[in-house]
Amino acid sequence: MDRRNFIKRTGAAAAGLFAAPYILPSGRLFAASGAQLAEHVVFVLFAGGVRQQESVLQRYLGDSQSDPTEGNIMYNMLDGTPPPEKIVYGTGLGGISPIQPILGQTLQQQGTLFREMRAVSAGHYGGLNSLLQGNTAATQGLQQKPLNPTIFEYLRRHGGIPASKTWFVGNSLGNSVPLLNYSIHPNYGAQYGANFFAPNVTFGPAGDQYLSDAKVYHPQDQLAPIYEMKSFLDNSFEHLGSVPTSIGNTPEEKQDIKAFMSEMFTKTHNGTIAHPPVQDSGDLTTVGYACEVMKWFKPALTVVNMSGVDGCHSSFTGYLAALHRADHAVAHMWDHIQNHIPEMAGNTVIIAIPECGRNSTPNAIRDQNDWYSFDHSDSNSLRVFGMMAGANVPSNLSIGSEDNQVGIVTDVVPTIAEILGVKNEVLSAGFLEPGTQSLFDRI
Amino acid sequence: MQLNTTSILRSTAMLLLVAVLATGCKKDLFLYELDTVDLDLHDGDKDREKSNQEYAAILHANLFQTALSPNDLYKIDQCIQSIGDKQLAREVIISNFMNKPGVQIPTADEMNADVNAFIIATYNRFLVRNPTEAEKTWFRNKITADPNVTPELIYFSFALSEEYLFY
Repeated sequence: MDRRNFIKRTGAAAAGLFAAPYILPSGRLFAASGAQLAEHVVFVLFAGGVRQQESVLQRYLGDSQSDPTEGNIMYNMLDGTPPPEKIVYGTGLGGISPIQPILGQTLQQQGTLFREMRAVSAGHYGGLNSLLQGNTAATQGLQQKPLNPTIFEYLRRHGGIPASKTWFVGNSLGNSVPLLNYSIHPNYGAQYGANFFAPNVTFGPAGDQYLSDAKVYHPQDQLAPIYEMKSFLDNSFEHLGSVPTSIGNTPEEKQDIKAFMSEMFTKTHNGTIAHPPVQDSGDLTTVGYACEVMKWFKPALTVVNMSGVDGCHSSFTGYLAALHRADHAVAHMWDHIQNHIPEMAGNTVIIAIPECGRNSTPNAIRDQNDWYSFDHSDSNSLRVFGMMAGANVPSNLSIGSEDNQVGIVTDVVPTIAEILGVKNEVLSAGFLEPGTQSLFDRI
Repeated sequence: MQLNTTSILRSTAMLLLVAVLATGCKKDLFLYELDTVDLDLHDGDKDREKSNQEYAAILHANLFQTALSPNDLYKIDQCIQSIGDKQLAREVIISNFMNKPGVQIPTADEMNADVNAFIIATYNRFLVRNPTEAEKTWFRNKITADPNVTPELIYFSFALSEEYLFY
């Protein structure tokens, strides 16, 4: 080897040594450039259309039923004393026993509360899409995959995060919820999508019948030949259109997810799922499985959808109970992370924002307490709060007021991107609603 | 005498007519026949994706030779919807079916007794077409070279294939 060749090969080898550690599972060459504020984010889609009046403004019956009783029924998340009387949101007959608080310190004290934000849609699906896409997507149809990239895809494409580290846990199959784990945008799409479970179905009676008794195949001796033969068959298939793209779990990730599913069926049968102390609603059982997902996978991003408060269309009493339970659910998740998932404790940010508010004036339906119900379509439906707490989030900070709106719900996308270190990439992608910015930049 | 002459002429004319008809041009008879040709396209021209319920119904019929009730199909549809990775969802459902009694799969001995027939029958059962010579060769080589490849694994791979998602 002459001197020139020696120098050339040595240089190439050195370059390879520098580059190799940064080749990420996604195929991305270099890791995201931004510094992370935390390694994990839990984002709660809270929780089916919440009025400011009964949540952050703590007016209980005072701004809805011509009754002066006021008070805070979200006392894990917000500072404030509960209503002194007319308790209907708890457990037991008539809901007269409020659920005991879980957190010793409210999330408001632990983090930052945006008291008055602007929602961009008065509907559920538009609202959920705005929270996950950071865009109003005016042409977004129901029962249609998101048109613009979701936060999952941003993180996976620009952050090199594996599929099994991004999870969307839905409380049901309704409202097109299962469609929200990735968009149909040509530059992003399924290959950067998140894993999804609707646990009340996956691990409920239907799943128990058709998913729980899966035969276990040996990864090398049996699954490898299956995948090899499938690959041959797929290559032979001369299909002119597009075939469904997988979200890109590796065979190892698939095995891990199957093992998780098996564990969940066992825990479900044994009654040992990490459910909240009170678990009498679909939202609360969903949160129990979300805790299990976090404990098993330690995701970079876990999005949890709740929607129980939407019962307000026909029952204000049920709405109060669901709102009280949504607070209980968020507190349980936060408590579970701090006390049962050491890898995420102290290294996680939790964010909760409703997808929309509800009307200022009621509809004609009265419930069992003769209280009026509320839909969501007027300007009051575009008023929501936002809250975040955890690593590197300023504590005990309250921003904005009823007369001073600060923040848009679409802000949550660049906020999560900033926490996980891909803010610049998300902003420069060019798909966010104009005026959208990280909530950290609004502090 | 007049009658005799007329009779003779008439008889002669009849004889001539018969002779002409009997010896006239005979049209050639051509018989066209076709060789047996497989008119199916290679992939059966499948361009429509099965719904979850269609997939489950056909899969169950292929594996058990029996039909599922609409209620069961609805529940399987819900299960598939509840899992984000659809391929993983199908894998788990196939695995569950494989674990149930009544699944109709040939034994390894039956497969090895006539590998070609097994391959053709499997393509017919799952993909509703005949395999090409290349496909037959590939699977024949795979079956003979890899002792781990059983009829069950082959059925699994067919049920998981992209072509099986279309009709």
